[in-house]
Amino acid sequence: MRRWFWICWLAGTLGAQDMPLSQVLVEGESWQLMAEGYGFTDACAADAEGNFYFTDVKNGTGIFKMTPEGQVSVWRDGLPGVSGLQFGPDRKLYACQGKQERLIRIVPGSGEVEVLVTGVRPNDLVVNAFGSVYFTETKTRQIHHVAPDGTHRVAHQGDVIRPNGIALSPDQGTLIVSDHGGKHVWAFRVEKDGALSYPQPYMTVVTPAGTEESKGDGSTTDAYGRYYVTSEVGLQMFDPTGRLGGVIASPAPKAVSVEFAGPGLEWLYLAADGKIFRRHTASRGILFQAPPAPALSPVATPR
Amino acid sequence: MQFLRMRIGWLLAVFLLGTTQGQDEAYKKGPDSTRKPGIPQGAVTKAKWTESKVFPGTVRDYWVYVPKQYDGKEPAALFVAQDGGGFVSEEGSFNAPAVFDNLIHEGAMPVTIGVFVNPGSIPPVEETSKARSNRSYEYDSLGDLYARFLLEELLPEIGKTHKISEDPRNRVICGNSSGGICAFTVAWERPEAFGKVISHIGSFTNIRGGHIYPALIRKGEKKPIRVFLQDGANDLDNLHGNWPLANQQMAAALKFAGYDFQFVYGEGKHSARHGGAIFPETMRWIFRDWKEAK
Repeated sequence: MRRWFWICWLAGTLGAQDMPLSQVLVEGESWQLMAEGYGFTDACAADAEGNFYFTDVKNGTGIFKMTPEGQVSVWRDGLPGVSGLQFGPDRKLYACQGKQERLIRIVPGSGEVEVLVTGVRPNDLVVNAFGSVYFTETKTRQIHHVAPDGTHRVAHQGDVIRPNGIALSPDQGTLIVSDHGGKHVWAFRVEKDGALSYPQPYMTVVTPAGTEESKGDGSTTDAYGRYYVTSEVGLQMFDPTGRLGGVIASPAPKAVSVEFAGPGLEWLYLAADGKIFRRHTASRGILFQAPPAPALSPVATPR
Repeated sequence: MQFLRMRIGWLLAVFLLGTTQGQDEAYKKGPDSTRKPGIPQGAVTKAKWTESKVFPGTVRDYWVYVPKQYDGKEPAALFVAQDGGGFVSEEGSFNAPAVFDNLIHEGAMPVTIGVFVNPGSIPPVEETSKARSNRSYEYDSLGDLYARFLLEELLPEIGKTHKISEDPRNRVICGNSSGGICAFTVAWERPEAFGKVISHIGSFTNIRGGHIYPALIRKGEKKPIRVFLQDGANDLDNLHGNWPLANQQMAAALKFAGYDFQFVYGEGKHSARHGGAIFPETMRWIFRDWKEAK
């Protein structure tokens, strides 16, 4: 058995799974325009039924909901300036309302707003399966943690120049943060008490020639543990070991937010230039409010 | 359970036949890679490194090989292998302890301390979570981070109990695949610490920017490093690049810049078989003038 172990181990280390774009993109399919005419689309989120949520941070006054068929309606009005959204395990919709300097959650149905933190300017957030909220505060270089009991603290400060997009690994043991002002996506270990430890510039983002500012923004994860980060040069995909898998061209400038939604969570939705686009993929997303699960293994690509 | 093990064994066998069949099978370990009666055997001890400051939060196994001939009076040469577990294993493609025992006894290489290091990983907090592999970050990244991990953390610790030569000509760094480019990067960044590099199926491709080495070699002042490269015509061609072409580019650049190098180009795939089969010869070549270096 020892022999098999070593052969297997060597095969495993030498042939770490390659994850080219061809594992995700569908041949012959591209971005479809789903909605337009907004000032600044952002705050992409999804629910278990495949509905997609977004906002217009610049001109909008509420939260929009798009059905898998593409029908857009106002889900909750009267909440301007929301730049990050995600449902929690309590089915409430958590929102970054930077303009009002607060983190809130909205009760579906009644639309009631519960205020979680004030005096902060949250940019984007992630809620884990246990109800812990992490949000980025870009100008202060801070990543905040709000425990399920409401305890609020700064979980990290300093390493990330302009912390922006935020996501989790499928098993929720790793938290990642994109750096709008730098060229890395940072990874942290999530501790039992919710603390973030061992910051590491785990992924290196492609930047335009002549700058190290990636404009790294909205981030999400698929069921295979791949990370997707919007940036100046497009939507960048990384494998679970932090290696760049490729750059998916954005259909419009200023891609700022990304999410898997739609039927089976198989569609990548992208907010860019006041519009919403989507495209079908060979992958599928995960909902962080759902129980953590190990990342799936992709089918090996033929060599 | 036994039945299950057998089935796993067969599944593995089928899988490995599928991946290493053909060209790779020609490469087999020779007599220098196996134990010979009457040859003094070195000792291998396993340890764990858990307190890295360069790679905070990582843990890793490492093994130290000390040959029988080492007496602690004269400084020994140094050999450091990345993905060390595969190199130190008696059943692996290299069986480095046996190779070293044989070659040291023969006088083909100096008395050498072997350090076999695995890549780090950040263990999970929850049992249900997976450790975060740090291998690509440590091995594929350019720059001196990994060199600093070796030179500021691991090797000083081993140096407390072992007398190791400071002469870069007596210090070899080695690896396969990403471990291969990692070995090259360490010597490239710190040639005063490692004067000899061995890379098998090295990933001089764009995993994290390593494809630029041929260009850097051509336009840089020659560094005092001796380089051994091995690759095979059937090595990987994937999103990161084409391994056979990348290694040919490396060899051409080293030649252009006037380096002391050797490139063995075979028929192998992305496996350790070819590198392992020729490992004793590689060690003879890399240490061919060790008595002068002394």
